This record gives sequence, structure tokens and C-alpha cells, in this order.
Amino acid sequence: MAGYIDSKKEKEWGSLSNPAELKKIVIVGLPNTGKSQVFYNLTGQYTLVANYPFTTVEIKKTKCRIDGETYEVIDTPGLHCLYIHSEEELIVRDMIFSEKPDVIVQCIDANLLKQSLTLTADLLELGIPMVISLNAIDETSRRGVWIDSDGLSCLLGVPVIESIAVNSLGTNQLKAAISKARIGKWPVKYGEIIDSGISAIASGLPEDIRFKRKAAALLLFDDPFLADYLTKKYGSEKITKLTEQVNRIKKQFRANIGHAINNKRSRWVEELAENTTRKQKVTLGEFSKAFSRLSRHPVFGIPILIFFLLMTFLLVVHVAGFLDKILSATLLDPTVGFIEAFFKAEDGSIKAQFWYDFLVGHYGILTLGLFNAIVTVLPILSVFFLMFGFLEDIGYMPNLCVLVKRIFGKIGLTGKAIMPLVLALGCKTMATLFTKSLRSRKEKFIAIYLIAFAIPCAAQLAIDMGIIGRLGNLRLLGFLIAYGTLAIVEIGAGFLLNKTIKDDEKSDFLQELPAIRIPNPKAIIIKTYYRLYWFLKEALPIFIIAAAVLFFVDKIGLLDLTKTVLSPIVVGWLGLPLDIVDALILSLARHEAAAGLLLDMVDAGSLNFIQCVVAVTITTMFVPCFANIVAMCKEMGVKTGLAMTVAINMSSFVLAGILNWILVFTIGRWIL
Amino acid sequence: MNKKREKDEHIERLYYMKEDQTDSIDALKSAMNENYDATVIDELLSEDMVELTEDRNKINLTKKGHYYACQLIRAHRLAERLLYDVLGGDFESGACEFEHIVTPELVDSICILLGHPKTCPHGMPIPEGQCCKKSSRTAQSSVIALTELEVGQSARIAYINCKSDPQLHKMDNLRIRPGVVVTLHQRYPAYVIECEGSNIAMDEEIVANICVWRSPEHLQAAGKEAGEKHSGRERFRHGHGASS
Repeated sequence: MAGYIDSKKEKEWGSLSNPAELKKIVIVGLPNTGKSQVFYNLTGQYTLVANYPFTTVEIKKTKCRIDGETYEVIDTPGLHCLYIHSEEELIVRDMIFSEKPDVIVQCIDANLLKQSLTLTADLLELGIPMVISLNAIDETSRRGVWIDSDGLSCLLGVPVIESIAVNSLGTNQLKAAISKARIGKWPVKYGEIIDSGISAIASGLPEDIRFKRKAAALLLFDDPFLADYLTKKYGSEKITKLTEQVNRIKKQFRANIGHAINNKRSRWVEELAENTTRKQKVTLGEFSKAFSRLSRHPVFGIPILIFFLLMTFLLVVHVAGFLDKILSATLLDPTVGFIEAFFKAEDGSIKAQFWYDFLVGHYGILTLGLFNAIVTVLPILSVFFLMFGFLEDIGYMPNLCVLVKRIFGKIGLTGKAIMPLVLALGCKTMATLFTKSLRSRKEKFIAIYLIAFAIPCAAQLAIDMGIIGRLGNLRLLGFLIAYGTLAIVEIGAGFLLNKTIKDDEKSDFLQELPAIRIPNPKAIIIKTYYRLYWFLKEALPIFIIAAAVLFFVDKIGLLDLTKTVLSPIVVGWLGLPLDIVDALILSLARHEAAAGLLLDMVDAGSLNFIQCVVAVTITTMFVPCFANIVAMCKEMGVKTGLAMTVAINMSSFVLAGILNWILVFTIGRWIL
Repeated sequence: MNKKREKDEHIERLYYMKEDQTDSIDALKSAMNENYDATVIDELLSEDMVELTEDRNKINLTKKGHYYACQLIRAHRLAERLLYDVLGGDFESGACEFEHIVTPELVDSICILLGHPKTCPHGMPIPEGQCCKKSSRTAQSSVIALTELEVGQSARIAYINCKSDPQLHKMDNLRIRPGVVVTLHQRYPAYVIECEGSNIAMDEEIVANICVWRSPEHLQAAGKEAGEKHSGRERFRHGHGASS
């Protein structure tokens, strides 16, 4: 991680040379204010959008044409202010300082105007032309809040464009405003001592530093990242002088400069908001507020969670099963029939057995590769992603943070680490990258380990539901046992890690919860479409290649050898049929790839109840996907990342075996 | 300037110098400018408040002097707290319009402490408050920790005891700051408060460090009908978590 930041540092703050062929637009804003949606509206390039903070954890760039001019548009993770609290915010600040954007588009959630204006104050200080996109303006009017966007524009000196970004309303106005972006007014006076201090420090900064005024203010704020950077770049001697100067001004002020600056800025925000918003005196109670309160309530929250899980489960089982049947009948069966007819000799035997097997045999690239992805996995994922997208867009998931807070406290995750773990239910890779924001190495270690270990990502959850859904009457019991085990494993692992790793600083838990929103169905469908599209694009080739590899490994006899070697573990310890080795190998390539085989085995009756539950549990824990491993290595270093992967795999075998034996000795007789 | 005030100023300055770890008499002179008075120093010496060392070049507070200085600084900074944070006065000008920003409860408390005075120093009558009618003897703590609110109640933030600057800054970004009305939504499994339209989940420790005005009437302006039942309560409470 350090390396990642350092290599970027070379370019940042310093170098005056800007290639400048393309004008750059940087979209910034608080978390969950619609930056990615605006990015999509402007460029047509889809990035994942959801109603929770930090959906975007990395910077995204693309080009687009506005008013006949080509711009480079950059989407960024959420940023609260330029005084930095965490690494992922640092990336955004570094980017602003290094790329020297020509235009900044600040996204503001109209519901949270005051919170956003604090960042506006910071951005205005940079002196970069700016446009404000005032999103979710429909929600404020529904709440009886009216924002005078023209007045706001007047007071700030930059265009303020009202928009309803999810419906792409206001996009054209925003495009038109971009060419008219202006440098705003900087109206805040910090007071004589601070203002003259800032000028004095600014004039003492090295020549090639940009945004001197802001840099000076940040130094007065004790910004740790900036001081480190300057020391590295310009040597400690020059910086010691600066630090002395800063300390002198601090002494002269005889109070906390940070508090004073915050107060001034805050009053400016207060005044601005007061002058530009009107509030209806009476409003109706809102369903969404009541719902968000219930969803994190210690008593009502749990039934709501169970309801959503159950609903998703039943939808996946029934709708996806139905789609699977249709697709099999219309796609799989005719193709296989056609190929069979093609290869069939007159006497009924198959000619060119090798090629027949290669295409549609047990490990055929069509049956195990293409159709596995399209007929088996795709229906499950599409139903699941629709439901999941719905939950994401109403903003349900962050409320889970509150519900699980106490449990996580017990396993050493007190503060900021809670959100990434909840987000891991969406994508483990993104969640792992999100742990950048954790300062404490202990928390980061535990969080990354737990994310990779027993939490199913969205796709895995969908597949697990699909497999257990085939268990007939016992499916709910099976789901409960498998996921109960995973939960226990996860908490147990956290508990152990918490006990074994040395304590260091505890982070604060201070988490904004997004407002519950009525989602836009179109947005959910677009999101599901892109998720499926990405799945097919990324996974389909892997499915086919994995099938081909398995086919050849089988043909040269290596597969049987592996099975013989693994037999004591798989059959003896895990109690699974030997063929499950195929599935485990496939899930090395990609977790979803194992689904087809497992489903076939369940359908063929070669997996009984216990075996099915054990198989689902082990495939969920076994080998985090490749992207996840890369993210782990990026955040923790290659050595630790790989060590974690090995540890996870070993323990998944051990734990799944224990589960097997517990099940055999407890419910074994009754069920089998 | 009277003599006591002059002495106080010198002692305060010496206390600041101690904070800055300087003790030369020249530093004192330059810091005090024209207000520096050698006779004051002599008097302080005779009162055993200060001591001079190294050929009268270094000056330090004695134990007695330090104790006295601590009381001055305490008063000074509490006043700052009151004017600046709690009453929202302007820090640099020091000016604030007391009667416009102080809460009725705080006025009652002051009235109780002063023994329900009937007239102002100019001889004009002071209107009676609820506390005078009841001739209350015990002042209630006007500020309580946010954790002490009932779920669903709202209160205006008086001040925040922050453990570190970054934390304060972060709260500031979320607009959790003095003067803002917050509502406590949930206590368990984690605290959830609403502040300026957004819901924020947080640790108990942080919530305990947010100190709010106890008054429910105060909030009627904000359109909340929080805690009618609260007003008659005669409990004596202290602000919590003042030192973490």
C-alpha cells in the first residue's frame, strides 16, 4: 500500500508541467452524493452505482465530448474535506493536486446541503473553476425543503445545477454549465492572525508547490500526510524551517487554530444554507424514515433481515429454477441433441469420441463451460442481482452496521472496519480495497482476513442459494445449517485473531447511514444488466478454459491420480463423493464455475443432505477469488496476502470436515 | 488598570510561558510590551508568588504562584468555553450578545447561584423567573451528555469534548457541532443520532462526549415536541465523559 501511494506522490503537488491536451473534469463530493451516477450521465460509461457510501473505491477515468470539446472525466471515491482522515480520501486529494483539473464538478446531495458546503468551502479555496451538481432535488421538495439554487450560485460565484441524477434529469444543463465553470468567491476570513499566517507560510513554501494557500492552511492544521510528503521531497531542513514558522503562528494565536478555522467555515456554511433554503413548517412522517429505524432496531431489525434473506432465497430457488428449465429446454437440449446427431454413426455408436467428449462430455467445454455459465449460473445471478440491487438502492445494507456493531466489537472490530465487512456481502474485492481507510494494522488484518474467509460475496450467496434450493423440503434447514456454520466460523476466527494479535489504536465508529430511498426500477435493471454483462465478459472465458483444462487433465489421467491422492481427505474426512474434487478445482478458477457440477450432482442424487451442506460450506470458504487475492496482496503486502490465502484454505478443509462429522453424529441417522 | 488586575495579567503570562517552556525575564517583557511593570514583579516576589534565578534573568512561578495561576486560567478558559463554544460568541472580538443566546435554563442557574437578585446594578428590576417563584436553591446542570437523552428526544449541542483534533474535524464534517439540534434515535446495539438530516451511527464513547442543553422548551423553535415530560424533572445531573 505504501508503495502505491509513494509512486503516485512523485507526480503530485509538484511538477508544473501538464500535458494539457485534454481538459480534465474531476467529479468530487461527499460519499453517496451521486458522483458515479453523474459520471455515467456525462460519459455513458457505467460504473457501479448504489445507495451507500463508498460504492466507488478507486478512481475511474474516461473521455467524453461536451459542447464539441473532448474532456477527460474522472470519477472519485467520496471525500469529506481536503484535510484528510483516511487513505482513500488521500487518493482523491492527491489526484486533485497532481492532475490539476480544469473543472471540478462537485456533487451535492440536496438533502445534506450543509454537510456538502463544508467541502465546497475547501474546494473554493483551491481556485479551480467549479460547477455544482445539486442532486436528489426531487427528494428535498417532497420533504418540504426548497433550495434556492440561483441564490446559491450567486453567493458562491459558481453555476449550481439542479438535477435528479438517477433519472438523468439535469444532465444537459450540467454539460452546458461545464464550459461556463467559474472560479468561485472565497468569502471566508479566518481572522487577522490566521490569514496573515497563511500568507506568510504560503510565501515560504517551495516554488513549485501548487495551491499554496491551501497547502499553508493544511500545514497550520497539522496535516500529517502533507508534512511527510514535503519532508520526503524537499529534505527535512527546509521543512523544519516551515514547521518552526507554523509553530510560531500557532503560539501567537494562543488557541487551537483548527477549531477556529472550522468555526469560521461552519458559520459561513450556516449562513449560506440559511439564506438559500426554506423549510416547510409541517411535513408528513416519512415511510422511509420509519423503515430505516425499524431495519436497524435490535428487535425488529432481525425479522426484517430474515425476511429479505428468505425472500431472496425463495426468488432464487423458484424463479431461477424456472428460468433454468426454460433455458435448458430451448438452448441446452437442442444443442446437445444436434451435436449428438452430428457425431452419431449409423450403428448408434459415437464417432470421434474424443471431440464429442471435448464438446459435450462430462467435462465438455460446452456443457461445463458455456452452458454451465449461461443456463445454470446466469439465471441464478440475474434473479439474485435484481434483488440485491434493490436492497442496495433502498440503502438497506449500511443499516446492518448498527445491528452487528456489538458482535463485531467482540471480535476486535470496533470502528471503521464494520462497514467493509458489511460491504463484503456485495463484492469481497471492493470491500478489501475499502479497508484502506483503516489506520490500525490490527483491525485491517482482521477485517481483510474475515472478508476473505467465510463471508459469501453476492455471487457466492446466489449460487449457494441455488444449490441448497435443490434440496427439496429440507432446503431451509440446509440453508440455516450452512450459513449458521459460516457465521460461527467467521465470529470464531475473528475472536481468535482478536486474542492473538497485539492491540494497537482503536478507531472510532462514526458512520453515516444513507437515507432509505424508493429505488428507481430502471436504475436497478441497468445495474443488473451491467453486473451480468461483466460476469459474462470476465467469467465466460474462464469457465470455458477451466472446463478445457479439466478435460485434458482427465484425459491424461492426472485427474484420477489427484483424486486418489485426495481421497482420504475428501471421502474420509469431508465425507464427500470423490467427484467433488472437480468442483473444487473449478472453484479455483472461479467460484461460480463449480455451481454447474454441484447442481448436477444434487439433481442426480449423488449428494445427500449432509454432503450438500458440507460442499456449500467448503466452496464458500475455500480460496477467495483471484481478484480478492490480488486485493489482499495489495493491501497487506504479497507475503501476508498469500499467507492468509493458504491459512484460509487449510482452515476451510479442517472446519468443513468438523462440520461433516458433527452433522453425521447428530442428525445423520435421522436424515439419511 | 487596578493593581490586582495587573498582577493577574503578569501571572497569567508567566503561566503561558511555562506552557511554552520559556522562563527568561526578557521573554516576559517582550510578551507583555508596555504592560510590563517591574514594581509588580517586586510585589509578586514579596508575596512569594514568583522566584527569580540566574542573576534575575530567569523568572518562574512558585508553587503558590502556580496554584493561583491555575485558578485564573481555569476561570479564563471556562469563560472562553462559555462565550465561544456554548454561547457561540465571536472568538476574536470577544463580543457576544449574552441575552440573545443564553438559554432560559442557564439564566435560571445563574439566578439561583446569585440568590435570586431583585434588581440589576443600575437599580432596575429584574423580572422574576420560574426559579425565583419556587425559590430554588439547587442549580441544575444545564448541560448533559447526549447519552442521557431518551430515545426520540432532541437537544441542541452545547459543546463537544473531543479526544483528538481529527475526530473533532470529522464530527465537524458531519455537522455535529455546537448549536446544532440532534435527535437520539437508537441506543442499542449502537447509538444512532440524526443531525442536519442525516443519520449517523456511532460509539457510545463519542456520544457521551457530546454535551447538549437539557432544555426541551428550547427546542420548540426547531419544531420538535421533544419530551414534555422532561421539564418537571428535578434530578441533579453532571455532564458526562468530560475527561476522555
